[in-house]
Amino acid sequence: MSEQSNEPKFDVLWPLSRKGVEDVARAARLPDLNGKVICELWDVIFRGETIYPMVREYIKKRFPGVTFVTYENFGNFHGARESEVMATIPERLRHFKADAVIAGIGA
Amino acid sequence: MLRAAAAVEKLGIPTVSILGSGFLKQAEVVMRGLGVSLSVGVYPGAPMVDSHETLAGKVEQSLAPGLLAGLTGEDSPVAPKFASVTKKEAEPGPDDVVFSGDYDRVQSYFHKQLWTDGLPIAPPTRARVDAFLKFTDLPPDHVIRVIPQEGREASVHSIAVTGVMAGCRPEYMPVLIAVVECISDPRYRIADAGSTPGMEHMVIIGGPIARQLDVNTGQGVMRFGRQANTSIGRFLRMYIRNICGFRIPPGAGDKCSIGQSILVALGEDEESAREVGWPTYAEDRGFAAGSNVVTCRSVVSITSPIYSAGEDPAVHVQQWTDVIGGSFTYWAHAGFKTGLWSPLILASPSVAGVIARHWTKDQVRQYLFERIKVSAGKATHYAQQTSTPTFNFERLVEQGILPPRYTQSDDPDRLVNVIIDPKMVEIIVAGDPGRNQARAYMSNHVQGPPTSREVRLPADWDEMLKQASED
Repeated sequence: MSEQSNEPKFDVLWPLSRKGVEDVARAARLPDLNGKVICELWDVIFRGETIYPMVREYIKKRFPGVTFVTYENFGNFHGARESEVMATIPERLRHFKADAVIAGIGA
Repeated sequence: MLRAAAAVEKLGIPTVSILGSGFLKQAEVVMRGLGVSLSVGVYPGAPMVDSHETLAGKVEQSLAPGLLAGLTGEDSPVAPKFASVTKKEAEPGPDDVVFSGDYDRVQSYFHKQLWTDGLPIAPPTRARVDAFLKFTDLPPDHVIRVIPQEGREASVHSIAVTGVMAGCRPEYMPVLIAVVECISDPRYRIADAGSTPGMEHMVIIGGPIARQLDVNTGQGVMRFGRQANTSIGRFLRMYIRNICGFRIPPGAGDKCSIGQSILVALGEDEESAREVGWPTYAEDRGFAAGSNVVTCRSVVSITSPIYSAGEDPAVHVQQWTDVIGGSFTYWAHAGFKTGLWSPLILASPSVAGVIARHWTKDQVRQYLFERIKVSAGKATHYAQQTSTPTFNFERLVEQGILPPRYTQSDDPDRLVNVIIDPKMVEIIVAGDPGRNQARAYMSNHVQGPPTSREVRLPADWDEMLKQASED
């Protein structure tokens, strides 16, 4: 079908809506993790109980002075009480003096 | 998960997230919606099907190096490269004309832009959109919420445009607004609408407006074929696709693994409910009799038709017990993990009439609650197979997510209630009065729990409706 048909022409509006989020500057990375505290957040799925210890071991090989605060200290941030747990995360991270966070697992 | 990482980045703390390789396209959509570029370490493939040795190898070769690079900022061949998510592409305004052409070219353009559900849309011209906007006292730029996952405004204008495209009539607008209010409630967790179980969403309409809009509540309910039911159901799926940003390939953002067809809207046969002596669904939800109420809820599974006969209510409800137990017991583990799932039973007036002569809705709920059971070991197995090797009832009870009766012993053969709380059972009277049938629908745990809003009508609703019916 082309514009040459006898059908009417439609001027159609954009079907989406404005973005309503402000951009967030990502935090500076940490070239040296020695002496730093990495906190773990886990949503208690997809074999994190196996994966997180392996990741700790890998990172410690390169940066022996790194400290991990394991996921048990934070609760499931994507479970039954997502909003309640997420509300506690900032204070928990301050409490543990977190320098960085590993969050998982989406799979 | 990426939402949690974004919240931490806002605190000035660098993050890196663990992601399966099949989720990278969705991750980019989510990051755009959050307005932040996140670092990711990638697990190739699906961790739930890998041997321990394979998993260890993938962590060593890909995931852990990617996580390390994400924390240190080093370049790494295993770290995914995302397009800049904070570099904004100029977008049209809500009332801008974006294309002009005949019907076929409009369809082709919208398909190419991924703005349709695969079916033709009604062209959203300004005149058509304005006709919808007349049916609300809210201004077009009124924003219900900045809604996940693309972070777009759930505006009245966007509801009108989507309503036009879905084939709705202008007078459906008050219902459409209530639908978006429901899914915008943070408790509805629309951010999870693209999760892999592939849940759909059901709109339930109660009150006089169902009759005013010619919503089917009787024979053939839940079937395509009545304009109000079909187009309102299509509207919700299209809104979730276009405004929330959940698109299957060639788009991105919707990680539904194996989906199901959209659900047309459901109207309750309130007249029959009153005749049999049961409260209406809207009254069950806490609204006054006669209120116009919209409820949205997820549907992840549907039973076969359930036929039951005779004058004994227990025989009917036992049939429900058997079929609901057989159909929904497997996925109940997802509800156990979150402390919530909800079965919705759609009962034809004839069956409801027999039961209601003897039993209240609460008695039905209690019967189902007490009799549908699964062994703790079986439920644990199901959860472990799905995603959660560490699943155990003891921890869920310790955390207060499940009540103590789930751990009254440690025998894996002990039977536990599939329905967590009788109050979670929903019952609606609808369907063919001439047949003895029911059917049940299962929600996807905390994703899309039943959420209701009263419909707000424009001041001159009756007159407007009268004019609309004459068109």
